[in-house]
Amino acid sequence: MSARFRRATSADLAAIMAIERATFATDAWSAATMAGELDSPHTHYLVVEDDARPDAVVAYAGLLAPQGASEADIQTIAVVEEARGTGLGRALMRDLIAEADRRGATEVFLEVRADNPAAQGLYRSLGFEQIATRPRYYQPDGVDALVMRLGLPADAVPSPEAPGTPDAAPRDPLVLGIETSCDETGVGIVRGTALLANVISSSMDEHARYGGVVPEVAARAHLEAIEPTIRAALAEADVRLEDIDAVAVTSGPGLAGALMVGVGAAKALAVALDRPLYAVNHLVGHVGADLLRADGTEGAELELPTIALLVSGGHTSLLLVRDLVSDVELLGETIDDAAGEAFDKVARVLGLPYPGGPEIDRAAAQGDPRAIRFPRGLTQPKDLARHRYDFSFSGVKTAVARWVEARQDAGEPVPVADVAASFRESVVDVLTAKAVAACIDHGMPRLLLGGGVVANARLRQLAEDRCRSAGITLRVPALSLCTDNGAMIAALGAQLIRAGHAPSGLDFGADSTLPVTDIQVA
Amino acid sequence: MLLAIDTSAGTSVAVVDVATGIAVERSVDDTMRHAEVIGALVRDCLQEAGVRPGDLDAVVAGMGPGPFTGLRVGIAAARVFAFARGVPLLPVISSAAIALDHYAGSGASAGGTGGPVLVVTDARRRELYWSIFDAPGATGVPALVDGPGLAVPADVPPGASGTTRIDAARVSAAALGRLAERMRAAGAAFPADQALYLRTPDVTPAKGPKRVTA
Repeated sequence: MSARFRRATSADLAAIMAIERATFATDAWSAATMAGELDSPHTHYLVVEDDARPDAVVAYAGLLAPQGASEADIQTIAVVEEARGTGLGRALMRDLIAEADRRGATEVFLEVRADNPAAQGLYRSLGFEQIATRPRYYQPDGVDALVMRLGLPADAVPSPEAPGTPDAAPRDPLVLGIETSCDETGVGIVRGTALLANVISSSMDEHARYGGVVPEVAARAHLEAIEPTIRAALAEADVRLEDIDAVAVTSGPGLAGALMVGVGAAKALAVALDRPLYAVNHLVGHVGADLLRADGTEGAELELPTIALLVSGGHTSLLLVRDLVSDVELLGETIDDAAGEAFDKVARVLGLPYPGGPEIDRAAAQGDPRAIRFPRGLTQPKDLARHRYDFSFSGVKTAVARWVEARQDAGEPVPVADVAASFRESVVDVLTAKAVAACIDHGMPRLLLGGGVVANARLRQLAEDRCRSAGITLRVPALSLCTDNGAMIAALGAQLIRAGHAPSGLDFGADSTLPVTDIQVA
Repeated sequence: MLLAIDTSAGTSVAVVDVATGIAVERSVDDTMRHAEVIGALVRDCLQEAGVRPGDLDAVVAGMGPGPFTGLRVGIAAARVFAFARGVPLLPVISSAAIALDHYAGSGASAGGTGGPVLVVTDARRRELYWSIFDAPGATGVPALVDGPGLAVPADVPPGASGTTRIDAARVSAAALGRLAERMRAAGAAFPADQALYLRTPDVTPAKGPKRVTA
């Protein structure tokens, strides 16, 4: 749905009352009260119309703010059921807050039903705080009212997202993102940096008996999961498919057969809905994940430039991100196994199940990380000359296997906890040391982590310690946004749109080795 | 009005409507570019037919058999297109479209004579997919009598005597669509909405780690 915001007039009374009665069944205002509100010089009422259905009012909201008074009140706000979850309520609230500010108010108050946590969450995310409770305020239901307050800075200037003229309120497009590069079928929906849905269907269990991701098994699972996952994401975001403004999809890098399922689905979706399609880079998507907040509140701009360390079962990459949509440089990457892959292989050596990361983490908790000194790949001076920011985990994996076999051959028990802890220490030591070195070398006071291996507690801990010592700000998105997901792909698509990039057209394919410098595929 | 998509060989897309006589097909025979071409083929077919996505009342998917990687692209696209427009998905065995084309060419489509056909397509790895159909009866729908199956060339069943063998390299989405129209009109049951891989993934369960020391 494309929404149009405008000032309400008395001609809107009937449409507003229809929504009022449907929304507030037991305590709706009378038409006479509402007419008085619309006519008053001290109020500011807005309505939202659905562009596709002219004259169809789908939401309204009102502010009481007498000129010169320091206190303003949100009088009412309602969105028709079909249009809920699309951000209309948030946009209306922003406009009313901006109007209150313009009229000179320094505080905005509202009352909300104690049994409406969704509305309370919205108000809190806008900065309102609960200051009082009015017992049994809402009659005849006898429900308490929470009184909430928002302070407005005296010199506040309206933010660009809440401009002065409500009928020109710009809305970020609603973007649906599809990710199928490995074993997770991910579909996410965002509006700008606001996360509305992040649904993941994983085929990990099917790979467990093979000890690693089997590309054909993953691709078959994507085909079965793609439509149900889209459906689930729409339900989670509480939006309709026709409300989607653009589609984004991972073009690469990743498993070719797996990527192709997502590409085919995304193209069909874009043509069926007649919407623009953005083909994007999976790795840059991991960086874009930091734009989002897992609780669905408005995210933040990325602090750029930044160094990004992406660690997963398929990738180990160190990036220099100067601009998310136009300037990403690959500083280094693994020359053999990905870090997550090394965890899986060492877990097998130790007789632990797949996936190895959490298993090693669990076993290592009881072990001594200094018990065995396993090699640190590509950290010797001769290696650093050529591979300063590259990684190698094949050597440590083999070293662990040799060490374990020697014990077994001697008939001695294998100290699984110590081996796990020592191996894990070797991997995270190299990862964090090189990432911090990249920050220092490039004068970059920021490090961003991404990828599924971020779930590793020791990696996060050591990264925190080393960043703190070096005066580097560490950013770690929520774990649900670190593992492969469609929301990060949607977020990157939304940034491309915001930056004015043209859509990708329909001729791109799946590129299993897409370089990270190709942020968008034409 | 149907949109038909088949990627069991090359990529073929069609808009078919028996009532109005609309039949637009766009195909690319390249068997390695399904993901690249699928979107533009659908868009171009709709444009040439003068049809908007909302005018379609069903989407037909060629379910194979066919090489996996390409096959999935068309099925994924058909499923998601049908979902996006809120219309049913009609799964059809791809080789049945080849049989239909054969009988149409031999004048047997309206319940004429014509003996059984053995449809053979490439399964890669020196193997073949095969299916045997009987001539269409009054419904105009070729009847599947055996298969679809997977075999090395020497083991492909020849069919009953009088069976004509067709080695096909392409599947026509227009034929697939016409077939679905006839099946719908005849009230025939559509096969399950399942990709016809006919092979399990080429992998064996892990037997534990390999030794690295001799």
